[in-house]
Amino acid sequence: MKIKIQVFLLGLLFLLSCSKIAKENESGSFKVPVDYYTLENGLKVILSQDKTAPTIVIAVYYNIGFRIEPKDRTGFAHLFEHMMFQGSRNLGKMEFVKLIQQNGGVLNGSTRFDFTNYFEIVPSHKLETILWAEADRMKGLAITQDNLANQQGVVKNEVKVNVLNKPYGGFPWLDMPQYANENWYNAHNFYGDLEDLDSANLEDVQSFFSTYYSPNNAALSIVGDFETEEAKEWINKYFGGIPSVDLPKRPDISEPRQEIEKKFTKDDSLATKPATAVAYKMPERNTPEYYAMGLLDQILVQGNNSLLTQKLVKENGYTSNVNGGINYLGNMFNYNGPMVWMFNCTYDATTSEDSLIYSIDQVLAEVEKGVNQEMIDNAIVKIRSELYDDLGNYFGMGRADLLCSFALFDNDPARINQIEKEFKQITPKIMNKTVKEFLRKSNRTILTVNPLGSSQVSSTKL
Amino acid sequence: MKNTIVIFVICLAIISISFGQEKETPPSGSEPKNFLLPQREELQLENGVKLVMIPYGGIPKASVRITVSTGNIHEEIDKIWMSNLVSNLMQEGSISMSAKDIADKMANMGGDLNIFVTPHNTNIQSSVLYEFVPDAIALMVDVLINPAFPESEMVRLKNDMKRNLSVELTKPGSLATQEFFKQLYPNHPYGRYFPTEEMIDSYTLDDVKEFYGKNFGGKCTTIYIAGKFDIEKAKKAAVGALTNWKEGLESEYSIGEPVTQGEITLIDRPGAPQSTLLVGLPVADPSNPDYIAVDVMNSLLGGSFGSRITSNIREDKGYTYSPRSRVSAKYKSSIWYEQADVTTEFTGPSLQEISKEIERLRNEAPSEKELDGIKNYEAGLFVLRNSIPNGIIEQLVFLDVHDLEDDYLVNRVKEIYSLTPKDIQNMAKKYLRSKDMTLVIVGDKVKIQNQIDEYEKLLDTLK
Repeated sequence: MKIKIQVFLLGLLFLLSCSKIAKENESGSFKVPVDYYTLENGLKVILSQDKTAPTIVIAVYYNIGFRIEPKDRTGFAHLFEHMMFQGSRNLGKMEFVKLIQQNGGVLNGSTRFDFTNYFEIVPSHKLETILWAEADRMKGLAITQDNLANQQGVVKNEVKVNVLNKPYGGFPWLDMPQYANENWYNAHNFYGDLEDLDSANLEDVQSFFSTYYSPNNAALSIVGDFETEEAKEWINKYFGGIPSVDLPKRPDISEPRQEIEKKFTKDDSLATKPATAVAYKMPERNTPEYYAMGLLDQILVQGNNSLLTQKLVKENGYTSNVNGGINYLGNMFNYNGPMVWMFNCTYDATTSEDSLIYSIDQVLAEVEKGVNQEMIDNAIVKIRSELYDDLGNYFGMGRADLLCSFALFDNDPARINQIEKEFKQITPKIMNKTVKEFLRKSNRTILTVNPLGSSQVSSTKL
Repeated sequence: MKNTIVIFVICLAIISISFGQEKETPPSGSEPKNFLLPQREELQLENGVKLVMIPYGGIPKASVRITVSTGNIHEEIDKIWMSNLVSNLMQEGSISMSAKDIADKMANMGGDLNIFVTPHNTNIQSSVLYEFVPDAIALMVDVLINPAFPESEMVRLKNDMKRNLSVELTKPGSLATQEFFKQLYPNHPYGRYFPTEEMIDSYTLDDVKEFYGKNFGGKCTTIYIAGKFDIEKAKKAAVGALTNWKEGLESEYSIGEPVTQGEITLIDRPGAPQSTLLVGLPVADPSNPDYIAVDVMNSLLGGSFGSRITSNIREDKGYTYSPRSRVSAKYKSSIWYEQADVTTEFTGPSLQEISKEIERLRNEAPSEKELDGIKNYEAGLFVLRNSIPNGIIEQLVFLDVHDLEDDYLVNRVKEIYSLTPKDIQNMAKKYLRSKDMTLVIVGDKVKIQNQIDEYEKLLDTLK
């Protein structure tokens, strides 16, 4: 239903498709097994067995995202993510990557608002090997100036390919937080200014590592085909001895209540068609209003039958696709702080931005008239289905992602089995209250791409 | 040697980690578990429709995919994207259901109807909650066999198509891909990527109906169901819905004869911070006994993160973020190519490094150790692909498109492990001739012309 944008990934995963993996259970009441405990050094561990296939997901999440990176080092959290593949106490450059591949697995890492993660999907008999390797790099990096310079080059190329040399590059996933938010932590360029990327030095890397990459700032999840006692023994053996550190106080990342509608235009010399994104600040995570926004997201933008798709695509023919959701770099569960709910579309210059916004307001006016129980029930079916997809996503990686996120942010990974219940508790009254406070015009930011490009190109045979 | 050691020690001192002890090595893990392909049940209706059911896993959802063996490969030379227009219009409703009805009904099953076209297939796909699988099959079959093709939606869909075309043509990767395949397949639909606006304007409802009438029918349709579902109920729904559909004609794919003359084409994109490179040539196709060896060679050379070209131009030199090579399997022909977006000032050096890696593999067999690693990787990927419902469906569709038997999957791992270093070198020698490769570059001509001239000089020195 939702098009997930795969960005801020290191780009290691050479794979075809994603989908689902599962465990025998009854239909309609799928329950994820959750075995949760914390090591003495503070490492959170979540095991979730699933013997469908002889494969296993190992995910390590560090509670450090790009929104709290150092102030004069934009893009640093992501650059650092790359450094975690550059060499450790025992494995040199490329050796970590080769270890995973030569054992028949795939791997990747990514940087998001509130965490940086690393994961491997391997044949299940290689679990001990991979636990050793993840523990090894948590114990210590052994990076060099050469490797840092090399990855600065790679990351700058990543920014060029995803943002600078691409029409609509960065729109709206990277742009909107910078326009909608007020607090620097939420509003800076997470991919990084090229100058900031250049000025990062080895000292920065080392200090970032020793500050944030400690066991008491991390969660380890294993999903798939393993034996519990054996897995616990290995986890203790390899991670148990890593010392914890004193974590710095978290900066204040809160956002003030938005009181006026904001509008911006961004020139794009590569684009040939206008595009507009509309964002509304989200209610605080885990409140009833937050779950209500999850349902409104389903009602308004998810799937062919969503109200905005019906209006903008089918009825008015302004666009072929309305993309939207909560947290474009993930889903509504894997972040911890201020967030926007957003949607965007591309249209023709013959359609004015005003007409587009007028149509959007017509749809919102319908919702303001009142949300009934049937709309809620239908939205819950869509959410339940999407949730099952998330659980199976990337061979079980989607499940590991939710388990680690709930462990890091709520100290309660078993919440994975409560999500459906939370949505079912939402009443029309809560929905209407949420519409009134969070879908008000003064809570929104509109960003429009002004296309300056021409599609003329010339080619020469040499 | 001594110098190297000194430098190493200094680096370690800077980052202040104690390296007094010996390096540890990773534990090797235990013995691999046996992996069998998931069992499937198949049946064929009298009108030719094939039904393939693969009960798999426990998450209460199933993927339903109807594939019809028709796609861009069946488009006329002046009707590019006609199959896309047909599929878009199918989405607009059946004789008995409006598009809105379909969207609401699918949403209430936890699914979303997705109709998409590939070069070889038109696919009607959704993933729905366990209990709704039979209903979803019935609805999807209705969309397939009773399309309403409402004329009222034609203008809008053609406008959408033109808008999407305009956006595509601003992407350097799309421009490069279009030009590359145009050169390799000058006389085949594989070489026709994008239509013109004028072409799209000319499409009529009659064209749509004609394409559908000619290319859709039981003999070229397969319905796959994979995941958790009630097999008897699913079977009943599919058989009931499809039994009376027309047979239609057997699908035939024309064979593209790829050509390459070692030409270099530069598409100018003034001010571009990167050059988009595509370089490659025809290799063995999936029905050729060489194919598996070519596939493994590709993983070793450029098709995996640990591969030689990626290690070189990304992890060693930092010229690029996203290099990769692939084997693009067509019907009875295949193309190998390396693709990368590289920093403008390193365009020439990137090409030279790619060539060097190709020549190295042609001149020298890889070590047993390196090849063993790649074999394990390929075998591991094979298990992964076959451990998720959509992955299993993809594999079976691949067999169908390329006229392959089950042996292809059953013996795959064994065949991968039987390859020798010499086999891999031989594949490189046989197929990867740098001088014959088609090269397309999208980039800033003023800044890269000299670099390309240098690269041509290097090519001249190769045999």
